[in-house]
Amino acid sequence: MKGLFKSKPRTPADVVRQTRELLIFLDLHSGSRGGDAKREEKMAELSKNIRELKSILYGNGESEPVTEACVQLTQEFFRENTLRLLIICLPKLNLETRKDATQVVANLQRQQVSSKIVASEYLEANKDLLDTLISGYENMDIALHYGSMLRECIRHQSIARYVLESDHMKKFFDYIQLPNFDIASDASATFKELLTRHKATVAEFLSKNYDWFFSEFNTRLLSSTNYITKRQAIKLLGDMLLDRSNSAVMMRYVSSKDNLMILMNLLRDSSKNIQIEAFHVFKLFAANKNKPTEVVNILVTNRSKLLRFFAGFKIDKEDEQFEADKEQVIKEISAL
Amino acid sequence: MAGDHHHQQARYPLDAGSYRLLCKIGSGVSAVVYKAACVPLGSAVVAIKAIDLERSRANLDEVWREAKAMALLSHRNVLRAHCSFTVGSHLWVVMPFMAAGSLHSILSHGFPDGLPEQCIAVVLRDTLRALCYLHEQGRIHRDIKAGNILVDSDGSVKLADFGVSASIYETAPAAASTASSAFSGPMIHAPPSALSSSCFNDMAGTPYWMAPEVIHSHVGYGIKADIWSFGITALELAHGRPPLSHLPPSKSMLMRITSRVRLEVDAASSSEGSSSAARKKKKFSKAFKDMVSSCLCQEPAKRPSAEKLLRHPFFKGCRSRDYDYLVRNVLDAVPSVEERCRDSTQLCGCARGARCVSPCRHASSGNVVAAKNRRISGWNFNEESFELDPTDKPPEQEQQQQQPCFPFHDDDDMVEHEQERRRRQDDKDGSSDVAVPHLVTILGSLEMQRDMVMQVLEGDGGSGDGGETVGREEMLVGYVRELEKRVQELSTEVEEEMARNAHLQELLHERACENHTDSSHTSGSR
Repeated sequence: MKGLFKSKPRTPADVVRQTRELLIFLDLHSGSRGGDAKREEKMAELSKNIRELKSILYGNGESEPVTEACVQLTQEFFRENTLRLLIICLPKLNLETRKDATQVVANLQRQQVSSKIVASEYLEANKDLLDTLISGYENMDIALHYGSMLRECIRHQSIARYVLESDHMKKFFDYIQLPNFDIASDASATFKELLTRHKATVAEFLSKNYDWFFSEFNTRLLSSTNYITKRQAIKLLGDMLLDRSNSAVMMRYVSSKDNLMILMNLLRDSSKNIQIEAFHVFKLFAANKNKPTEVVNILVTNRSKLLRFFAGFKIDKEDEQFEADKEQVIKEISAL
Repeated sequence: MAGDHHHQQARYPLDAGSYRLLCKIGSGVSAVVYKAACVPLGSAVVAIKAIDLERSRANLDEVWREAKAMALLSHRNVLRAHCSFTVGSHLWVVMPFMAAGSLHSILSHGFPDGLPEQCIAVVLRDTLRALCYLHEQGRIHRDIKAGNILVDSDGSVKLADFGVSASIYETAPAAASTASSAFSGPMIHAPPSALSSSCFNDMAGTPYWMAPEVIHSHVGYGIKADIWSFGITALELAHGRPPLSHLPPSKSMLMRITSRVRLEVDAASSSEGSSSAARKKKKFSKAFKDMVSSCLCQEPAKRPSAEKLLRHPFFKGCRSRDYDYLVRNVLDAVPSVEERCRDSTQLCGCARGARCVSPCRHASSGNVVAAKNRRISGWNFNEESFELDPTDKPPEQEQQQQQPCFPFHDDDDMVEHEQERRRRQDDKDGSSDVAVPHLVTILGSLEMQRDMVMQVLEGDGGSGDGGETVGREEMLVGYVRELEKRVQELSTEVEEEMARNAHLQELLHERACENHTDSSHTSGSR
């Protein structure tokens, strides 16, 4: 019943509290059949509240977000387990509310309270939530929502490190190859983010886990029969190896004849895009000043073929850098 | 509720083998659209857009962003993909089959002078509902036009093609190169409007999250750009083509001549062309003109929102029987999408249906070049046998091995080559290549526009009243010059394209001669 008194406008903290209460209700009454009407009503209310959280954080058509309101909201949100509840209950929400919730969680990752990122601290204390988000790739209905949240969470270096060092890294090799394009691409985007965003952490991860990681990378991704897996993997490999912070890993990679063989096979892939990306890694083998004998041997054995290949290797648009790199590679190989 | 609908829908299988391609219903530079049957779901009819990821100019991230956007939208007037998966180097996007095709295609196959006003009202009302939903989602379509409005057999409408759409909530803003979307393709003949390509440029390239106030100024602007395009689309439906379409990429020019577009569009379109009699008769209601004028307001802020526009008197008159009218008088009057496609010159002429239009990579320039340079068939990694000569297999054999296998290709590969050759031959005559006719079309339309503007100019000449007219004339003359420049650029492009075709022809010819294993008759022996 609406009383005689006009209700006071709710504060951002009120909205968070109400959201939390509704989430708790939803969490407890998920299985029950009895109060369907009541549950529907609570669901509608929850959707409204989550949308309101979104408009406080992002502003709406008429008004811009207010810093003070965002701070209040963030504080209240992380004071208790609202994030956990929201993540756990997400599969029960309807599509529009899921999208709103995802955007709220994304925004909260950047909110500061007295110049501290509260979300990062919360996640560090609740790392099992990352496990939940990652397992979302196994559920088609929520994969894209959990995937978006996950990518926002790994903006925090400590969280990215947790995921990198966890067993979940191995699962990504499966997720990337899921048949559903949206989900496989989402997993790819997260995988790439993990392996390129935080330079020092990535360099440390790659040195520590070099053997299993590149063995999986070579056999499962670069040698995959799936076009998109191969194309994304070779691009990512280039991004990783060409990053200055990974130079030690790069030196190790280009000193292996097995790696060279895989790259040379990709050079003659039927896809031009894959060929070009493969070239950007192959050139590192050729440019290496301390080539091991086994690498030299392969290059020498295939010298005439390689030179013939590069003579006809062109890209559609003009690219000075590409041409210069090609010249250099040809020079290196001819001089062997 | 929208979300519940999401849960109940059938799961479409994620493998090509579950779909039977029935016929081609549209094609573009890097994508082909098929009508297909989903066998495990009782042969339910679907549309499949097969995007060649190798040829599309967009990078994979953009393709993914668009697929994701499409998967997360749920509104009855928004085209949503059932699922998408890769087949070799193609991405197959499985979508609802919209039996009547795009409004653009309906216009060009039966209504070159435009649709009756009551039909315009119903289809535009549904389009507006879709726009309302998108805008409420913080999403901007950026490519509203008749070619992106799809109609089903019952007259219901779905807005399609999110190739250039942008979301304000996206962490990484959509790339600036919006025009190069992989999804845009089949039904699109016009370059993206000058407006749509520029409204998010400032946002792209922002490394981190944007300040909210910046986002909002952009959203406001972006949303209103959609409204502008909506107004132009209304004129397109009324006249059969957009007013002063294919503008040179000068947006300001467009803005400045806006008022003219509105006032002169009726006069201009009725004073040219042979079917002017039909056009002269055409009268539009005041409500319609008023609705269009409000969309084409020069100041974005003054254009109404989609929501407000829905309440415009023009849409108030819509009744459900208008859908019947649309079905009986418009949809029944045009050939089916299958027939429309059969008429098109782009078909290879093979009468065998799906097989001949299954995705084919033979045309990709990479393969042609590789054939010329003789493929490297393998590297010699056997360290014990350095001395052995490298083994070069004949290129044709190699190619056969490398063909990604499509379930619809059970015939001999050579047939495909033969077709390809035939197709290339046609190209030389300039009749069936993708790019050349496209450019020629643009050229033609540009010339037409120039004539239109010239006519307006001449008509205005006598009745001018002082300085204002002079100013306008100068502006229009400038505009004509701009157009002429553009025509010249396009002519050069056409020439280049033709030269390239000739070159490809040569390569194919060479390859044909090289190919000794080919026992069938070689038509490339000229």
